[in-house]
Amino acid sequence: MYNIYFAKTEQLESFAKELKKLARVFAPLAKDAQSPKQTDYLYQRLCEDTALAFNPYRTVEPLKSFFTYKYEKVADYFNSAKNLTDITEKTVIFGVKSCDIAGHKIQDFVFLEGVEVDSLYRARRENTIIISGDCTDFKEVCHCLAWEIMPFPSAGFDLNLSPLNDGFIVEVGSKKGQELVNQHKDYFTPVKDTQIAGRNAKRQSILDRLKRHLLFQNLVSKDQVQNLIREGFSLDTWKEFMLNCVECGGCNFICDTCHCFLLADSSQKQQQNGKLRLWDSCQYKNYARVAGGANPQKTRAARLRFRFTKKFDFFVDNLGAPACCGCGRCIEVCPGKIDIREVLKDLANKLKKQQ
Amino acid sequence: MNKNIYKPIEAVVEDIITESQTIKTFTLRPKENFSFRTGQFIELTLPGIGEAPFTPSSDPNVKDKIDVTIMNAGSVTSLLHNIPKNSSLGIRGPYGKGYPLEKFHGKDVLIVGGGVGLAPLRSLVLSLFGQIDKYKKLVLRYGARTGGDLIYKDAIPEWSRKPKVDLVTTVDVGDPSWKGHVGLVTTILEDLPVNLGNAVGIVCGPPIMMKFVTMKLLDVGFKPKDIYLSMEKNMSCGLGKCGHCRLGSYYTCKDGPVFTYEEVKDLHDIWD
Repeated sequence: MYNIYFAKTEQLESFAKELKKLARVFAPLAKDAQSPKQTDYLYQRLCEDTALAFNPYRTVEPLKSFFTYKYEKVADYFNSAKNLTDITEKTVIFGVKSCDIAGHKIQDFVFLEGVEVDSLYRARRENTIIISGDCTDFKEVCHCLAWEIMPFPSAGFDLNLSPLNDGFIVEVGSKKGQELVNQHKDYFTPVKDTQIAGRNAKRQSILDRLKRHLLFQNLVSKDQVQNLIREGFSLDTWKEFMLNCVECGGCNFICDTCHCFLLADSSQKQQQNGKLRLWDSCQYKNYARVAGGANPQKTRAARLRFRFTKKFDFFVDNLGAPACCGCGRCIEVCPGKIDIREVLKDLANKLKKQQ
Repeated sequence: MNKNIYKPIEAVVEDIITESQTIKTFTLRPKENFSFRTGQFIELTLPGIGEAPFTPSSDPNVKDKIDVTIMNAGSVTSLLHNIPKNSSLGIRGPYGKGYPLEKFHGKDVLIVGGGVGLAPLRSLVLSLFGQIDKYKKLVLRYGARTGGDLIYKDAIPEWSRKPKVDLVTTVDVGDPSWKGHVGLVTTILEDLPVNLGNAVGIVCGPPIMMKFVTMKLLDVGFKPKDIYLSMEKNMSCGLGKCGHCRLGSYYTCKDGPVFTYEEVKDLHDIWD
């Protein structure tokens, strides 16, 4: 069990300023500061004069964008002795939410476990401090609770902030986080029981509101979803929802859990001669194509289903949990208005009718 | 432990053998230590162009060189077919699980190849020859489209003369110069000289061929757990990270590429 502290807003501001001396500090910036509860939040690197903002809900970008990039060089060819892991920078990220942390577990599973470790990912992971925060509000698309993810994290962060009156309760979640607090003792005071009670009340309040928001949506639950996907394999749901898909790949790129990448080779004419890694999308036509032209995911319907079987069947089998954190980013980004909640509900409804 | 998993090692093309109009075998000499188990695959990089997966076709006991037999079928392979000797290529791997040889011990081993699918099977055959006393019998069945499409033309007669070996080849379409069997590979799977209670069947070839051979083997009495298939999917990273080769709840690259039919029979679209 780690310690819990309290920091006044000005103290946290000063703490963030101190952090800027040690690392690159990213924090969410409101797109429209006049309406903090309606606007979107985007990560921005804190400069000298930008103030720290507290985002009531998750940012637009997924947390993974700090650990793998949409386009980057991951290896030189054999003629170079350079090791790309040596150049990762110390980074602090404010504004991470519980859904992001849940999604990040999937990224960790992919890149840190398995046959071999991705050392570039690991270097970034080790050089990054995650300062998360409770959700104090939610977007229409938010549905973390459907996957039994709370709107405030209980683990997986270095520090977690819970806003309370004129400051924040700061919960330590890791050794790295404790060290950071120890190095900046002046900004933190011991937390009082009344403050903890205040945090609990606020947490209960957001939980109740989110539950009410989700109640009438009648969402598919975590323990049903794998069966649903398996039994719904041949349903028309895939063909119907596919009609709106323009194969932009946005759902994958914006997803906190999607991790697929294309390993490509840069042209010899380019300076960056070596292996490139680009985020990839299973919604693209040639994603599964092999030499000679055979393609097991030929149709958009097959590819839409592929995205769902990966999230709700593959990951349940391999990791014990679905690879959806309920952040709703894919719903917001989709130009065809394909809603992950609606696809699952449609499968459930069609199966019910069949019975 | 700061190994970069995406970085290839250098291998020099020492020899190029033309097997057929569309297939060549490249002998590569890796500049660093490199070894593989039969049935595992490698990613071969043509620097600045691209990368593609291949299962080596040589004996894994030969440590300083590896053979890769490549059909001109896609963008990388067509360029590979045009590289000169002494070119430098990149190798990553080996990846996947390969053939579980110990499970074949004491059994009749049936090996069925189709077209360029004989490439990984050559590596298997050479491994089996290296410890032939461990196996009861080696039954080889190989089919290609025409006589001109058969690969390892010199090796095949040599194999058929080895003790314990029963080898038949066939072509889909015969011509006046072809003296052997004509018909799809499934037509030479009747009356197999194997003891069905104690045999394994190993199949590699185009998906459509593997499908019909698998059906045939089931038909003649092989059990799903005794049929070993080389699944062809879009393996890219080789490590179960990039996602492309997913097959149900497996990744072909790390859980395969060799699967028993038992493991994959309930998955959707395995032959596509």
